[in-house]
Amino acid sequence: MPIDSDTLKLVSALLYERALKKIPDDTRGVLAQAQQRETDATARHTIMMMVESADLAHEQGSLVCSDVGIPTYSLKIGTRVQFSGQVRQAITDGFAELVANIQPPILKMVTHPLTHARSYAGKDIPIVSYDLIDDADYMDIVCSPKAMGTGRWEAAETFVYPTIEQAEKYVLDVILRAGSQPCLPIVVGVGIGGTLDHATKMAKEAMLRPHGQAHPDPMLAGMERRLLEAINQMGLGAMGTSGDCSAMAVNVEYSAGHGFVPIAVSLNCWINRRTAARIHHDGRVEMLYE
Amino acid sequence: MTDGWKCFMNEALTTAVQELTLPLDEHRVRALSVGQLVRLSGKVTVSIGIPTHQRMAEAALQGQPLPVDIRGGAFLHLSTYVRESDGVCEPIYLNPSTSTRYNTWMPAIVRGLGPRIVGGKGGLNAESVATLQECGCVYLSFLGGGSPLLSRALRGVHSMHWTEYISQFRLLTLDVQSLGPATVAIDAQGQSIYQSVGERAKARMPAILEQMAKARALG
Repeated sequence: MPIDSDTLKLVSALLYERALKKIPDDTRGVLAQAQQRETDATARHTIMMMVESADLAHEQGSLVCSDVGIPTYSLKIGTRVQFSGQVRQAITDGFAELVANIQPPILKMVTHPLTHARSYAGKDIPIVSYDLIDDADYMDIVCSPKAMGTGRWEAAETFVYPTIEQAEKYVLDVILRAGSQPCLPIVVGVGIGGTLDHATKMAKEAMLRPHGQAHPDPMLAGMERRLLEAINQMGLGAMGTSGDCSAMAVNVEYSAGHGFVPIAVSLNCWINRRTAARIHHDGRVEMLYE
Repeated sequence: MTDGWKCFMNEALTTAVQELTLPLDEHRVRALSVGQLVRLSGKVTVSIGIPTHQRMAEAALQGQPLPVDIRGGAFLHLSTYVRESDGVCEPIYLNPSTSTRYNTWMPAIVRGLGPRIVGGKGGLNAESVATLQECGCVYLSFLGGGSPLLSRALRGVHSMHWTEYISQFRLLTLDVQSLGPATVAIDAQGQSIYQSVGERAKARMPAILEQMAKARALG
């Protein structure tokens, strides 16, 4: 049975709305733990307010943040999936329906890069990426509304045969340059290797990884542990006004490539907006995380 | 940041959140220090529009009045959605935005238009910090992603100007009751939490890198 456009529209809108009105369960848990451990009184109070704000948004169906970001969706499509109707257009239409119907209404965030005119729609919006899953009869959709107040500090650079030490130093330099500007504590995704576009894609996927899943490769898992500890030792703290918790997680992904090695760093703010659903070939929709 | 300064901050937080009623005089504002928590009541003017800031700075430099007088009041980088129905304007929510993008215009706005409170998230640059000290103004850090909490303070729209802009870019003056809490992050003595925290992070880097090297060696 093919997956129809109406289901895609519905899921696209649903994922976006849930991302705006509820922080992920795992993120709330990390924040609650961080509050318990925090030794800085200002930061402890700030994290307490974060949890309270997130809970209040969930209870009353309001937006956690008025910056609803620019809409991004990542699709992974099983090669046995069939579609009836359009796919890309269904996601565009789903986002348009969300804009038309969501309560409270959202602000115009989609901005023309040169005229700076603002709207709810624009060229290539929503931003959608596509991948394949061999032999699967389902598709996964990850929605990540991107707030650029934090995202503007993301960076990428290509290195020549970098050591692990140089790669780690680069990530720390990016975080240091961002300083108090992102809405800390952040989630950091790092993509190493491949081509520049692939490194940035890996960084984003790493950033969206559910909490508590260390990389299976011990070398990468070691980098994740060291980087998380190092970032938190910087002392930037919640909202950048000092404290023990500047990052909730550092997730690293890699790809083989050339000796010229791109390294990309993606950042998500403390509300860590990400929702995901699986649409099965029979039309069933399963929430993967929210 | 010195340990003494940190102790001072922690002590400040054990005191009650200060309720400030706008407008404020210079003496009251100069008594505020970084780390203190405040709430605001009265009229606050908000906008996150770059064209709005350009226009405000131009008016300030030319000595032209704004449609709304912000002298002694608060000018905040908060984005707001205002529902307009049958001629009635109702603010639905508000939330801070990144202030550093307005660095270019904030000195002229503070010097020429005379707010006692500015704020948003992420702070302002050194030139703005010096201007706040010179003019007797403080910067408040509001919680990013704090919309549900902060919006509870909304009481109504006092005035709305420059309506040719989109909602969050307008020059909007809101009636608020106990907006906050917000942290005094730049005070009128020239202290900036952001500068202190950034310098401390840089100073810690050699020790952090050394510790990472040891951890790598251990495998």
